Amino acid sequence: MASPTSALEEQTTTRFRLGDRSSTLPALVLILIFFVLPVLALLARSVTEPVLGLGNYVELLGSSTYIKIFFNTFFVSALVTVISLLIGFPVAWALAIMPQRLATVIFAIVLLSMWTNLLARTYAWMVLLQRTGVINKALLGLGIIDKPLIMVNNLTGVTIGMTYIMLPFIIIPLYGVIRKIDPALLQAAALCGANRRQALTSVLIPLAMPGMAAGGLMVFVMSLGYFVTPSLLGGTSNMMLAELIAQFVQSLVNWGMGGAAAFVLLVVTLSLYALQLRLFGAAGEGGR
Amino acid sequence: MKNRTILASLALVLSVSSQSIAADMVFTSWGGTTQDVQKSAWADKFTAKSGINVLQDGPTDYGKIKAMVEAKGVNWDVVDVEGDYAIQAGDKGMLEKLDFKTIDKSSLDPRFVTDYSVGSFYYSFVIGCNKDAVAACPKSWAELFDTKKFPGKRTFYKWSAPGVIEAALLADGVTPDKLYPLDLDRAFKKLDTIKSDIVWWSGGAQSQQLLASAEAPFGSFWNGRLTALAATGVTVETSWAQNITAADALVVPKGTKNKEAAMKFIAFATSPEGQAEMAAGTGYAPVNTKSPALMDPAIAKTLPDQQTSSQVNADMAYWAKHRDEIGERWYAWQSK
Amino acid sequence: MLLNFNSLGSWKWVLLAITFLTAAFLLLPILFIAALSFGSSQWLIFPPPAWTTKWYSQLFADPRWLDAAWTSFRIAVMVTLLSVVIGLFAAFGLVRGRFFGRTLLRALFMTPMILPVVVLAVALYAFFLRIGLNGTTTGFVIAHLIVALPFSILALTNALEGFDKSIEDAAVLCGASPLKARLLITLPSISHGLFSAAVFSFLTSWDEVVLAIFMASPTLQTLPVKIWATLRQDLTPVIAAASTLLIVVTIALMLVTALVRKGLKA
Repeated sequence: MASPTSALEEQTTTRFRLGDRSSTLPALVLILIFFVLPVLALLARSVTEPVLGLGNYVELLGSSTYIKIFFNTFFVSALVTVISLLIGFPVAWALAIMPQRLATVIFAIVLLSMWTNLLARTYAWMVLLQRTGVINKALLGLGIIDKPLIMVNNLTGVTIGMTYIMLPFIIIPLYGVIRKIDPALLQAAALCGANRRQALTSVLIPLAMPGMAAGGLMVFVMSLGYFVTPSLLGGTSNMMLAELIAQFVQSLVNWGMGGAAAFVLLVVTLSLYALQLRLFGAAGEGGR
Repeated sequence: MKNRTILASLALVLSVSSQSIAADMVFTSWGGTTQDVQKSAWADKFTAKSGINVLQDGPTDYGKIKAMVEAKGVNWDVVDVEGDYAIQAGDKGMLEKLDFKTIDKSSLDPRFVTDYSVGSFYYSFVIGCNKDAVAACPKSWAELFDTKKFPGKRTFYKWSAPGVIEAALLADGVTPDKLYPLDLDRAFKKLDTIKSDIVWWSGGAQSQQLLASAEAPFGSFWNGRLTALAATGVTVETSWAQNITAADALVVPKGTKNKEAAMKFIAFATSPEGQAEMAAGTGYAPVNTKSPALMDPAIAKTLPDQQTSSQVNADMAYWAKHRDEIGERWYAWQSK
Repeated sequence: MLLNFNSLGSWKWVLLAITFLTAAFLLLPILFIAALSFGSSQWLIFPPPAWTTKWYSQLFADPRWLDAAWTSFRIAVMVTLLSVVIGLFAAFGLVRGRFFGRTLLRALFMTPMILPVVVLAVALYAFFLRIGLNGTTTGFVIAHLIVALPFSILALTNALEGFDKSIEDAAVLCGASPLKARLLITLPSISHGLFSAAVFSFLTSWDEVVLAIFMASPTLQTLPVKIWATLRQDLTPVIAAASTLLIVVTIALMLVTALVRKGLKA
């Protein structure tokens, strides 16, 4: 079963082999020295501070507060991911097919929204969404509502704020993916008698799925680690894990608990990631 | 070939970093205008007097202090920290004992002096109110906790620190002499009665913004913030009834290579003149009892040290001892 | 036909509506910040009592802002270059290579994105203290590179996976060296992946604040650290002015690039 590819790789001299595991070496070395080692050293404290043993983990997993914060973190991240995908997909699709000039302008707006400092953006949302803020004033003035909406210091505020930040991370990669889809495939579907809805669900979405899975994963994982935006826009009952860990590490200086919380987060997330890889695979393997 | 040259020269240009200034010590604080005043009132004048150069760094981070002390690579010489942290860190062996031969503590307010720390400045939690936004302003902690007489949102300090729990207990009728040990259950019960009406502020700037925009027309604030806010034209009404004091402290991380310079700096910062200038610039109170005499009387009387008629002192030692457990219960209550 | 704008029928309007609403949503805070930067009140109240340019004068008068911006910029550029190159190599290995533990390696490369940054910040800070890299540009770049790399690898592996390798093989069959085939055929084809990798790496570094706080020194400060320290203590529209200025400069750059490209095509 000698495919032309493997035969080629046999022929080519090994002087420049980009495409086997050795080219992952630079990244691997970097991550090992400057990430794995220092972080493991810190996480190891979760079983050595304040005393040797799993005390921190027992306290963490046995406390309803921490469990609640864990669940809240995953819930908010999932919520933001789903909403971003729901909005991002049509936008990326539209961008991929609309007239070039218009697409460029919209794309520029997407890029620009990422360009403003995170704190500035979050503060802007805080002021926009306040009870006495611009949006409420406008809605009240137009008579659409008669009591100000509470859109900040709660889940709504966090969701709006984080979706704002995450959307470009979905739109930009997904736009590239959709643009690469061969229009002939969809024309073929039409020829076979599929209507728009069938073409959407059976052809376009499956083809765009790897892009959505990748973008969705990125957004989900990023959301798990966020705390600036949830801290300023959410209420204390929406506290996210990253904020708790920051409190442990920087303020209470309890590296044992902080490390334990971080480690649990890591394990759960990596498991989800492994699951995702198995389900969606790589486009070259499972895919079409 | 051409691309490689461009890349190389780009790398060269980008790797040129600014010249490092020869510094004789580093002072770290929380940033913002408070640190600006600490720089002009203390650091600059100290350098002029002693010739020792002082570099500013920040913001203060307790995680960083722990890391640098453990790694024996301390590069912060004097740090402005919270009072209860200073006591706790001292007990844990993270700080140098202060040299009281260099630092004159004879006229320092004893409330703020320990073996490892001296007060940097002190402040009070007071009740602030945006007069233009509401019909009536609460004048006591009990009134601040009364949502019937004073409906609407109120704001409190978000993080676990001295101030809010004491206010809740005082509002519930606990007399100041019976505040400690803190009855956490009672405090949280009282806080529960207004929890849905609380907007939390996590930084001085946010507290001012909330009051100015009337998003939370009254609440508990650091007194200096209200002074600054009033100066920008907002009609602020302050109530000093049962104001709760707390203090920042100056400490020296253990293992610093500039111990002598650090002690001299602290001596200067806590001198009557240093404290007076700091107080005038920030609206916070001096820890040196000789300072008020040096200050402009009009300014002096706006400061916490003159508002002692019903002043309550937060017990820093108690907080230092129970910092962790109070913290856990605090965040547990908040996340409910 | 779903990919043909004109044959979408009524769906076209739905898509356009969602896109315009989203664009408005994305623009709103930016415009708001720009408006606030001209307001006379120190507090974020809209509409402001009066209009002024004093925040911009303050911004230009303080050299520390420009300093911080320049530091942020040069660090971000170095991080981007390294991240894209190293990420590209890693992506090729992950996609083309057939070896045991590939999935594990992929997950490992993702971990810096999962772990809360503050843990990495403290860990690296303690590590750098021992090897003398803290407060240096090198240390800073390394720290940012670690968190930027996952974005780069993710974008590039996805792009490579969607690339039909047979085109590259065809080029080799026609006589090109594997290197040339990759440079001239593969790279242009995954240009969008390269663009995503570069943009995300740059922005990750440019806007990163937690690591920056730990990696900074009194002489090495990035813009987010300066903004963070200032905003926590004092609210001032100077930050709005700084953000707006940045946006204006970027728009100008984008326009110039577009015009240049148009000129080249003509």
